Amino acid sequence: MSLDTTGLPLPTPSIDTGEIVVRHGGWVRAVWRSRNGRIGMIIVGLVLIGGICGLANFTPYAPDAQNPQTVLKGVSFAHLMGTDQFGRDVFSGALQGLGVSLEIAFLAVVIAGAIGSLGGIVAGFFGKWTSATIMRATDMMFAIPTVLFALAIVTALGPSIIDSAIAIGVGWVPIYVRVVRSPVLALRESDFVRAGRVLGYSRARLLFRHILPNVTGVIAVQTSLALAWAILAEASLSFLGLGPPPPTQSLGEMVSNASSIASIAWWALAGPSLVIVIAVIGFNFLGDGLRDASDPRTRTR
Amino acid sequence: MSIILAVVRRTLSTIVTLFGVSVIIFVVLRLLPGNAVTESLGVSEGLLTKAQIAALNHYYGVGQPLLQQYWSWLHSLLTGNLGVSLVSREPVSTLIGTALPVTLELAFFAMLIGVIIGIGFGMWSALHPGRWQDDIGQGISVVGLAIPSFILGTVLVVFMSSHFHYFPSSLPFVGVFTNPWLNFQQIIFPALVLSLGIAAAILRTTRAAVLEISGLNFARTALGKGVSRQAFVWRHLFFNALTAVTTMSGIQLGYLLGGTVIIEQIFILPGLGRLLITSINDRDFPVVQSVVLIFAAGFVIVNMLVDVFYTLIDPRTRKR
Repeated sequence: MSLDTTGLPLPTPSIDTGEIVVRHGGWVRAVWRSRNGRIGMIIVGLVLIGGICGLANFTPYAPDAQNPQTVLKGVSFAHLMGTDQFGRDVFSGALQGLGVSLEIAFLAVVIAGAIGSLGGIVAGFFGKWTSATIMRATDMMFAIPTVLFALAIVTALGPSIIDSAIAIGVGWVPIYVRVVRSPVLALRESDFVRAGRVLGYSRARLLFRHILPNVTGVIAVQTSLALAWAILAEASLSFLGLGPPPPTQSLGEMVSNASSIASIAWWALAGPSLVIVIAVIGFNFLGDGLRDASDPRTRTR
Repeated sequence: MSIILAVVRRTLSTIVTLFGVSVIIFVVLRLLPGNAVTESLGVSEGLLTKAQIAALNHYYGVGQPLLQQYWSWLHSLLTGNLGVSLVSREPVSTLIGTALPVTLELAFFAMLIGVIIGIGFGMWSALHPGRWQDDIGQGISVVGLAIPSFILGTVLVVFMSSHFHYFPSSLPFVGVFTNPWLNFQQIIFPALVLSLGIAAAILRTTRAAVLEISGLNFARTALGKGVSRQAFVWRHLFFNALTAVTTMSGIQLGYLLGGTVIIEQIFILPGLGRLLITSINDRDFPVVQSVVLIFAAGFVIVNMLVDVFYTLIDPRTRKR
């Protein structure tokens, strides 16, 4: 149970090897073991497949193909989510939108995760002044509500895929900093890091070989939750008309466009909404599963 | 004495944070491509003479070095002058003065509903762990966290317009003092939509905090010495869970302020959020920077009050 926070060999070797299998060999198996993790992995798997199909243009119809013969058709096997007022297949559009959303969300989380985790590790490991400066800066960023921060940055940079990703990612940086910093603070004072310091290891070696591997669990949980949030934020921005410019369709824009025809064609609103909700639920469940897998206290339950 | 000291220290750090926030907003918005001044006049830069551009820049205060621009912005902020809108030519303070009450009212009702639902169902599900009451609570929290407010808002507007012939745009918004009943009808649905996400987060926090506290020794002692159930639930469990719940409510305010931007757009309420989106589309950055700063200031000040609030209710936080 008290897994490598002390760095000392555990008294019973059988438990030791068992834990190590979980840590290094079987993240997937450990996540699968929790109910939330299972649900999350299945949903996220489907969402990823859908998004990749959308990005690769592997959709039942061309997402932007207008067809006067199929205007406002309801849900059927030919059109899983019906068609809109231009005869475009809603399902194909939603897949493409999902692909774009995932692309922006992944880019945003890579930006936030890289800057934020590094900031958190540095703030936790280095001295008082560095730490205080970084924490003060995150307090200031934290004071601006994330959606507003994204709005302000999109205003400044203009809407495009990479700019949306920067706008969404920057808002999540302070959350990574805070979440990563506290375990690093505890690890810095732990025996195995002190031992490493006594042995004269360089700071870089201590940081990347000894501390970083012990915070990957925290980072993984946060990344999954951040992805859920980034998908939501991207949808909100494009709902407000600040998403990537046409002809790229995005989920939020589809919801916004569908609102005017939804009283006669509910499916045009339901389709993209459902895709957003499912994707968000999936990444949230996956995050819960990762937390169960990385936190021994909840794992035993 | 130590309370006063803690409050003073917290106020000072809030002022420092606000100062930093103003720097961040200023720097981010100066990354703006294109010249907002010429764009606002609807002419391309080439049509103006150098002297005209210089005169315009001087009028709007944008041609100077960055540091000087920031300094003059900060100076006018502190003297209550927020500048002039590049589009409507009205003072920014007038625009904000008419929009702020709408957003405040919306945020107040959303927070109120969110806190009532969140604490109510959170306590209810924590007192019946693993039973059907708990399942209802969990259901509300999953739905509330997963359904974005813009989808819920759109669905609600579509439903109401097709079944009750209610359109957000059919009547202009009226203030609470002009016609309280009509104002209430206009504000209650957007507030409900906004409150769901907050309710979900507060519900989770309340449930977790109450469950944790009810496992502690003092709770068992209280039950053992025969405290009445009502006193146990409210005095022992609720009162001790209050710090966690208040913190969560303070954090949710940030979510709430971001949410008002979207909800005001859907329900066509003339609040700060709608002002922000309009001015973003018009690249009217004197308005954008002031509105974002006001949102941030509201968030920081409320969280400061939350901290001060616990210093008053929870003696454990006074030690340091």
